[in-house]
Amino acid sequence: MADYAFPHRHLLGIEGLNRLDIETLLALGDRYVELNRSRVKHADVLAGRTLVNLFFENSTRTQGSFEIAGRRLGADVVTMPIATSSVKKGETLIDTAMTLNAMRPDLLVIRHGSSGAVKLLSRKVDGAVINAGDGTHEHPTQALLDALTIRRRVGDISGLRIAICGDILHSRVARSNVACLNLLGAEVRLIAPRTLTPPGAAEWGAEVFTDMRKGLDGCDVVMMLRLQQERMDGAYLPSAREFFHFYGLDAEKLDHAKPNAFVMHPGPMNRGVEIESGIADHKTRSLITEQVEMGVAVRMAVLETLAKNAPDIGAKN
Amino acid sequence: MTGRTVIYNARVIDPASGLDEKGGVLIENGLIVEAGAGITKTTAADLKIDAKGKALAPGLIDLRVKTGEPGAENKETLQTASDAAAAGGVTTFVVMPDTDPVIDSVALVDFIQRRAEGVAKVKVLPAGGLTLGLDGAKMSEIGLIKEAGAVFFTNGDKPVEDAGVLRRAMSYAASFDALVASRPDTPALSKNTVMNAGAFAARLGLRGTPPEAEWIALARDLMLAETTGVRLLADCISTGRSLGAVERARKSGVKVACSVASYSLFFNELDVGDYLTYCKVQPPFRKEEDRMALLDGLKRGAIDAVVSAHDPQPTEDKRLPIADAAFGAVGLETLLTALLSLALREEIPLATALKPVTSGPADLLGLPQGRLAKGAPADLVLFDPAAPWACDRDDLTSRSKNSPFDGRKLEGRVLRTWVNGATVFERG
Repeated sequence: MADYAFPHRHLLGIEGLNRLDIETLLALGDRYVELNRSRVKHADVLAGRTLVNLFFENSTRTQGSFEIAGRRLGADVVTMPIATSSVKKGETLIDTAMTLNAMRPDLLVIRHGSSGAVKLLSRKVDGAVINAGDGTHEHPTQALLDALTIRRRVGDISGLRIAICGDILHSRVARSNVACLNLLGAEVRLIAPRTLTPPGAAEWGAEVFTDMRKGLDGCDVVMMLRLQQERMDGAYLPSAREFFHFYGLDAEKLDHAKPNAFVMHPGPMNRGVEIESGIADHKTRSLITEQVEMGVAVRMAVLETLAKNAPDIGAKN
Repeated sequence: MTGRTVIYNARVIDPASGLDEKGGVLIENGLIVEAGAGITKTTAADLKIDAKGKALAPGLIDLRVKTGEPGAENKETLQTASDAAAAGGVTTFVVMPDTDPVIDSVALVDFIQRRAEGVAKVKVLPAGGLTLGLDGAKMSEIGLIKEAGAVFFTNGDKPVEDAGVLRRAMSYAASFDALVASRPDTPALSKNTVMNAGAFAARLGLRGTPPEAEWIALARDLMLAETTGVRLLADCISTGRSLGAVERARKSGVKVACSVASYSLFFNELDVGDYLTYCKVQPPFRKEEDRMALLDGLKRGAIDAVVSAHDPQPTEDKRLPIADAAFGAVGLETLLTALLSLALREEIPLATALKPVTSGPADLLGLPQGRLAKGAPADLVLFDPAAPWACDRDDLTSRSKNSPFDGRKLEGRVLRTWVNGATVFERG
């Protein structure tokens, strides 16, 4: 596996990757976990290369995670405060991309509120593009960090029963995770009320449940999703209270999963809406802070891998 | 044009009569004198044109075209649209009223007619706004606007949501035997959507328009047409179920006709592919089974009109994330070739495939053209029904290039177009 050449220029989604692609990234991520836990958390594989963080949507943890990942690999990291600058002056998305491209970044980490926008941008720039979340489409590094977390704490993903619960309709994390966990051989379940289940979700290779207790039966891992009230331009639910009653993860519902089943959440959490605080902070069963740690490692793996494939921007012309 | 012109050595196709035979067309003073096997090289004429065995048919009539004139001339003008029409074999088209300002008064109908007279190579007919400013609240002067020359009344792409307003407007229109066109849509279900609803849209993370948005509005329109007695054109239906509803209503005596956009016969939802904004249209590309049902309707003659739904949008409104991109596709230049490609691939007789772009719409509007009858205007198109070519948007005549056919391989090319016996397009 050490010699496997990752055959993609960009990381736009889990769709399009094969199992070996994913396992290669996870194996490298594993190595970076060790580096990140040592005293000198530094490697020089990206020395001299420029990483631009382009977040058209506000983000704290993903943006910070990519920044730290880039710096630990020795890259020059620049974060463009796009949400407050040129876009408001009417510059189009493509013009912004062309402008940044002229500054010759090697790696571009992009988050955008519209599905497909990151792909659109990837066609217009020379560097490698990493999708840090596009609308309700994909968030591939989140799926990779979740897989790394499960692999390290629970074991081989193949054969595990994993439930993804809550606001699946608006979740790019769910879409990437279903694809990733399916490729790695897990049995994936989706648990949500009908209004938050995407049409055709049953054709995604996952079993769909509306009853959370039935859905959690025998699960090794329970992945909760954030209720994305900001993307709901109509009433998908009668109230947060009712949602918590039927779909919020509390100790009683968790009892339906396997004993000692693990709990995950991509954050940020709405405590008391989709997850009870006692579960979120559980010392042995909650993997939520570990997910954040794995996020840095997996992003280092992605950056290093794509930088190897990136054209030598400096040598152009 | 004075004098006699003969076009001979042609495959003459007249959908109105079902004619498809070797022969020619004799033209005098811009009118057809005779068409068919009796017209040959030896027919006496001042000008003789050898069609070299290619197909000769009535010029196309397109019931749904948007230009940007007035108000958004950067998209398309009446002149550029008519150039595109001539290049596509379309000799008559109806312009929709959703411009800025809206075509909702006698003066604006007059404006369109005068502008077109001055600059358009083909015949341009205005449709009038059904409600003032298309606000869906107050009906326009339907009687006067019809007298001024509007061929039908429609709210364009802004459906009348208030059933009471629609009922009264239909009822009033029926007093003047005016045709009302309505594209069935329920905004509550379709607003902020990008493509057809379903598993594919969900996978792409895009909001979808469910087919119910069309079915609910169509059911309402059909009921109101039945009770008011108005002549209704169900405009741009996109699903098999809608076609079934129209056919059932027609059978029970409702005066309803239907149109289908040519792209609905050609594409399905999967063609949106990697967020292709040129495939973002209203109504959206539907499921393959819907496309097949509409094609079946075309073969059975159940579709009265196939339209280009020409809706030019400049690059800056299309080169955006698909959720932010404008709806619409240009289609004047691909209307005929799309039908010819389908006819070839699906083995549909040309007279059947071309009926909904010739005599079908002509009969709906009561026009003399769209047929090769004695005394009809000599609006004609000569085409090679099987010539293969690849559509390249940069080669399109339209001012805007937003064609979902870009990059597609198609069959059938226009060679020459005549309006009132005069050549308005000839492929070099």
